[in-house]
Amino acid sequence: MGMEIPFDVANIPGPEMGEVAPPEVIGNYISRAKRPLLVVGSEILRDDFFLETAIEIGKKGIPIAATGHSIRGFVEKGYTENVNYCNLHELTNCLRDPNWKGLDGKGNYDFVIFFGIVYYYASQMLSCIKNFAIDPLIRAVSIDRYYHPQARMSFTNISPKMEAEYKDMLNRLVSSIKRRGGQES
Amino acid sequence: MELLKKGGVFTIAGLENVQIRIGEIEEEEEEWEPLGPHPMPGIATLRDWDFKLLKRYKPFYAPFCDMCCLCTYGKCDLSGNKKGACGIRMDAQHGRIVLLACLVGCSAHCGHGRHLLHDLVRRFGRDTPIDFGPGVNVEAPLTRLICGIKPRTIGDYERVFDYIEEQIVQLADALHTGQEGSYLDFESKALHMGMLDSLSKEAADIIQIAAYGMPTSYEGGGPDVPLVEVGIGTIDTNKPVILVIGHNVPPAAEIGDYLTDNGLEDSVELAGICCTAIDTTRVYKKAKIASALGRQLRVIRAGIADVVVVDEQCIRADILEQCKRVHSPLIATNDKALHGLVDRTDDNPDEIVADLVNERVPGVVILDPERVGEVAVKTAMQIAKRRKALRLILSDEEFRHYVSECTQCGNCTLACPNGLPIGEANQSASTGRIEPLAALFDKCVGCGRCEQVCKKHIPIVDVITKAAYPQLREEKGRMRIGRGPVWDSEIREVGAPIVLGTIPGVIAPIGCGNYPDGTRDAWLIVKEFAERNYIVTLTGCMAIDAALWKDEEGKTVYEQHHGRFDAGGVLNIGSCVSNAHIHDAAIKIASIFARRTLRGNYEEIADYILSRVGACGVAWGAMSQKAASIATGFNRLGIPAVVGPHGTKYRRAFLGRPDIKEDWQIIDATDGSEIYFEPAPQHLLVACETVEEALPMIAKLCFRPSDTDRGRSIKLTHYIDLSLKYLNIYPPDWHLFVRTATDLPVAKKDELLKKLEDEHGWEIDWKMKRIKEGPIRGYDPSFNPTNLKRLIREKK
Ligand code: SF4
Ligand code: SF4
Ligand code: SF4
Repeated sequence: MGMEIPFDVANIPGPEMGEVAPPEVIGNYISRAKRPLLVVGSEILRDDFFLETAIEIGKKGIPIAATGHSIRGFVEKGYTENVNYCNLHELTNCLRDPNWKGLDGKGNYDFVIFFGIVYYYASQMLSCIKNFAIDPLIRAVSIDRYYHPQARMSFTNISPKMEAEYKDMLNRLVSSIKRRGGQES
Repeated sequence: MELLKKGGVFTIAGLENVQIRIGEIEEEEEEWEPLGPHPMPGIATLRDWDFKLLKRYKPFYAPFCDMCCLCTYGKCDLSGNKKGACGIRMDAQHGRIVLLACLVGCSAHCGHGRHLLHDLVRRFGRDTPIDFGPGVNVEAPLTRLICGIKPRTIGDYERVFDYIEEQIVQLADALHTGQEGSYLDFESKALHMGMLDSLSKEAADIIQIAAYGMPTSYEGGGPDVPLVEVGIGTIDTNKPVILVIGHNVPPAAEIGDYLTDNGLEDSVELAGICCTAIDTTRVYKKAKIASALGRQLRVIRAGIADVVVVDEQCIRADILEQCKRVHSPLIATNDKALHGLVDRTDDNPDEIVADLVNERVPGVVILDPERVGEVAVKTAMQIAKRRKALRLILSDEEFRHYVSECTQCGNCTLACPNGLPIGEANQSASTGRIEPLAALFDKCVGCGRCEQVCKKHIPIVDVITKAAYPQLREEKGRMRIGRGPVWDSEIREVGAPIVLGTIPGVIAPIGCGNYPDGTRDAWLIVKEFAERNYIVTLTGCMAIDAALWKDEEGKTVYEQHHGRFDAGGVLNIGSCVSNAHIHDAAIKIASIFARRTLRGNYEEIADYILSRVGACGVAWGAMSQKAASIATGFNRLGIPAVVGPHGTKYRRAFLGRPDIKEDWQIIDATDGSEIYFEPAPQHLLVACETVEEALPMIAKLCFRPSDTDRGRSIKLTHYIDLSLKYLNIYPPDWHLFVRTATDLPVAKKDELLKKLEDEHGWEIDWKMKRIKEGPIRGYDPSFNPTNLKRLIREKK
């Protein structure tokens, strides 16, 4: 595969660039993670489908950190069970600390999924995780319609014209997540 | 800092080049204040203070680039916190880059100030007095605080600039390969640079206020000030239009003088962009503000300027090319931004005018501000008629052609810093629906990156401007002219309510226009806090952008609110250099209200501000290196700042961790006891993703350990209310700020006590409606918080 173009075209961090992966591969990693965390941002509010997708993932037993003002959506949907409002800067600052107790007091996470966060803010936080959350390693992936080189794994750029395809990818991702303890699996 | 006496002079240890004449010091000492421990601090003098801040607000790095390419060992790959060939780690390298950004920002302010000083001394004399009238006795708080100098004339600032320049060079030295290796020390140096930046700004503004008689320094000139028109729609394009851009006001001031002297005020428009615009309104009553920085390219492309005059900073690097495109002659007036033009300073003005009017040259350099006045006005008047005949906005036909050419390839979106959906908007416009394109106008930051990658050569900026043209012509706002210093008399009135917390905070929206979602956010931030009786002090581009929006009554925030430094005020303090007066207001609370000594006493005053003055900067569209040094200067003085999401590209934040108890220990100066306290303020620098998230965050960063219970309950009311309004939740951490039941908002007391009991396991005495157990600490009205052991009055 040729080199993928970052969504913000000049956002090339260096030799370590994230891999483009299909939904099933990312889903598979999420399934195998010990302590995954879904981090969502304000852009999930642009379409009910994205909010529903986040909730679907949440229902599989994956806790949700709602950053930006995305928490509004969860409150309006009445789904707040495993959702916590966090400022993304504060959250990332905690993630980089191996001694952090986590949102549930049970410790830090090993796998974080970024979804619906303003591109460049997400990119910077992914960079922090990539560069500093290294011992123990936290893997961060993106499931936005952007290629995120600072993530370990990311979807490719998907133009707004291809919204239907993107939604299909998210559906495939959700159905490929198999976790014990979730409501559906 | 150690002062060594050598002969007739004091020399500062480690800084032998800076000397303070002893006679002067002694003489001044008798006159005003005893000298504090740290006059003219060197790089390491305030390091202890910095390390206290850095322990609580640990530097957080988000690398923008994983590599370093600063020397020939490189490029080095530092990813995963690896070391480069020189041994520097990723974290330290990022501290280094932050220091570099602050160096550039501080140099811009200092260079600008020094340049002003040269011009103003030449024009008005070095003995021009600094006398801001009976309202402002403490005329230069930062100068007194940092340098130990009480400036009496503008010439006194020569010593101040000598000091700053010397420090800048020392700090620049630390950036060399093989110097500093600790990220904490890089940050301490960045904080030092930030402090110098604040001093540079104060120096620059004070000398220009003194020399030009800006508001504050003339009778009846404040503290409230008149309104001025803002927006592209306010400019009368039937008249010759002169557009000034940048930060250094002398050339624009001379244009104003020339217009006045020749009775041309009503026949020529003088409008500006960015800080020069704000400062021009402080010296020339008829000046207008065309826009903030974000619309620079579009104002130029709209072709309304018959002549463009640039001075320094934040000018587009391709300004000449853009001006040529619309046949606007360019006059460069500052040796820092010459744009390849020929220096014609000493030529006959009429010859220069003839060359410009006849387009024999696209622009000239004129380094003498007075000559700029004459040439700019004559050129505008002679060229205007011919230029007005040009049609520079796209025709309907051209517009339709371009939007239908678009293939929706998406290249422009990948190039756009805000990822705007230009292709989709073009497509919609090609079917006759132009609203989506017009809606991009305000969200666009006017960078022009999109046009360069469009394979169809669509002039995207022009296409968006065309779509938005009708709304643009109606863009007519009003703002206050820059008012300069907060008056001592105002501080006397509000000092107590701010420290006690009953005025819930001072909110300072400042800086550039790199917003995530357009200028409306700037307006909303001001409106929310002004309506809640905070004091809102604006400067720079955000002051301009906030003036573009109106409420249901058709009023801007400046028209809706008074301009005094008091609850509910909306103040335009002035240009970027004027924002030193926001630092100054905080310092004056310590000196005038709390009677702390200022002179050479930075650490104590910063400690006071951090613990007691609920102020918060908001740089929602921070873009430049100056914004980096400004925020860092706020931070060293104990004032936190919130930035927009683009602000994460500065790479560094200062974030507190409420879950780490040891980070939140403070001393009660009354008896020396050490106590754990609530995270107040929680951060020194933090980014929010959206304005909805920023509003409660800003309110949160106004908590201070010194709040009285009444003050705390007011602050809590707004924090909770803003969170409910914009996030639809109670803030998850609101309980951390509760010390006693009287801290709770009165209207919600029972409900909140119940929440404390149910959700946080606190023990409540329901009969007395008191909290028995739960808070981090109880409320003690005599609590005297400090982070400095030396300020303990009596050891326990
Ligand atoms: S300064 Fe250090 S990290 Fe940077 S290129 Fe040189 S050796 Fe590498
Ligand atoms: S780059 Fe040009 S052709 Fe491609 S989507 Fe943007 S405007 Fe259209
Ligand atoms: S000029 Fe506007 S639309 Fe074009 S890339 Fe810059 S911000 Fe985006």
